[in-house]
Amino acid sequence: MERIAVSAVRKSFNLKPGQTVTVDGVTSSRIAVLDGVDLTIDSGEFITLVGPSGSGKSVLLDVIAGLTEATSGVARIDGVEVTKPHARTAYVFQQYALFPWRTALQNVEYALEVRGVPAAERRERAKDFLHLFGLKGFEDRFPSQLSGGMQQRVAIARALSTDPQVLLMDEPFAALDAQTRDILQSELLRIWEQIKTTVVFVTHSIDEAIYLADRVVVMTARPASVKEIVTIDLPRPRDLDIRNSEAFNAYRGRVWESLRDEVGKAQRDWTLASTYAN
Amino acid sequence: MSLIVDRNLPLRNTFSLRRKRTPSKAPSAFSETVSTITLGLPALVAFALLWEIAPRAGWINALFFPPLSQVLAVLWEMIVSGQLADHIGISLQRAAIGFLLAVVTAVPLGFLMGRYSLFEKASDFLVQTLRNTSQFALLPVFILVLGIGEASKIAITFYAAVFFLLINTIVGVKSVDPLLVKAARSMGTSDWDLFKKVIFPSAIPSIVAGARLGVKTSLFSVIAAEMLAAQSGIGYLIQNSSLMLETDCMYAGILTLTIIGLLLNYLLVAGERRATHWRGSGESGPN
Repeated sequence: MERIAVSAVRKSFNLKPGQTVTVDGVTSSRIAVLDGVDLTIDSGEFITLVGPSGSGKSVLLDVIAGLTEATSGVARIDGVEVTKPHARTAYVFQQYALFPWRTALQNVEYALEVRGVPAAERRERAKDFLHLFGLKGFEDRFPSQLSGGMQQRVAIARALSTDPQVLLMDEPFAALDAQTRDILQSELLRIWEQIKTTVVFVTHSIDEAIYLADRVVVMTARPASVKEIVTIDLPRPRDLDIRNSEAFNAYRGRVWESLRDEVGKAQRDWTLASTYAN
Repeated sequence: MSLIVDRNLPLRNTFSLRRKRTPSKAPSAFSETVSTITLGLPALVAFALLWEIAPRAGWINALFFPPLSQVLAVLWEMIVSGQLADHIGISLQRAAIGFLLAVVTAVPLGFLMGRYSLFEKASDFLVQTLRNTSQFALLPVFILVLGIGEASKIAITFYAAVFFLLINTIVGVKSVDPLLVKAARSMGTSDWDLFKKVIFPSAIPSIVAGARLGVKTSLFSVIAAEMLAAQSGIGYLIQNSSLMLETDCMYAGILTLTIIGLLLNYLLVAGERRATHWRGSGESGPN
């Protein structure tokens, strides 16, 4: 069943007054970030997006999340056009985005709180989700008292507590050390296999993309469109050792092959990438 | 927050001990306090001894500088008679009313100015102009308009506190992490909830820091106003005793003010720490 349908989504940003960009000899005060993205994602699918830095992957997530409006084209969830944040969509950010004045438990509760879930019920649910992520005993800690990995666990627990149909993750493990990243990838897979929500996961890491995904979507350099979709036909449940397998190696080569030219292009105009947000 | 300077305070009142920055962790804060006291005590004792001995030995005129023991005796008398409590009560009451009015005005206004740039642009010029007009210069205006009663004294305390609160509220509202706003919106937070649950809590440390400065200036301003035009309050007590050449009484008033200032400061610091207890590293606001 089709859950997310992105069709011909374009997005461009106005630069700050006085800034211009020159692309192929044409000077403009607008910068195109997404250039006609088409992507259909099935219900329960785990999709990873890889692409060069600054290629607009995060912007695509924002469009699907209903946080930013596409300049043209539409994103639909279950056939309904996304115009504002959807109650059944959850978003996880690279920098955790936890409220520093709330404890771990209160942070998880937040999402339920703004949905009007009664206090007792949301506390129970929030606790359950913290425990699911191995954070029993840390309920009353403030984010500043937790490690990066724990903070991101809290953020993911918060996202999942609302029982989302769509989970958007923007490089959620990029700020963590390699070991913590490995652990969280496996934890995420373990939990996802139980709940089978639809995940769109942005990453820079090819290994991470392949390890997690049903399909890896390779984006072009900015302005971004879908370059290639690689279906990852590896058995589930997967464990980390799968990364040493022959098949995994083949996928790694294939995704890298597809990505290499785009990374080169992106590096050539990296100076431009710093002039716009995201 | 470098714009916050106690530049308007009368010289007399600025000698109250400045608090050193409080360290973050509780155990070290305690030992720090202990060492501050043990190391700082000798200087204080020496000062008290000098105050006692100098007038007695005739080094300075005892009429202008009565010995400390004499001042303390008068102070004790005033405490016992209830006279001091009356003066303290009325001064604190004036300062508190003015300060609370400032909170009620500045916090909502600060939210609007911090959140809506058009509103800020429209009002910033006026606010900057008013902010740089000393509340003491305006006292005659307050008296002309509001009379010599309570209203003019409350007005000056209001004026003294309102800009600290306003500017710190604006700073607090503006410094809200955009990522938190984005995260809140992604969870379907309504505009009202965004204010209540995201922007307000993240502005609290800054607002509380402003409140701390506002409380102090409120109190000092009311003292100054009482010196100029009042029949009660600590400021009146100090000024009137000085005119009557009851210098022991005058110093008792000054001492009282110092003690109130110290207590208030500790109270406010404790309040501030409470309001920002979730911060891992206890960066404290400006002094």
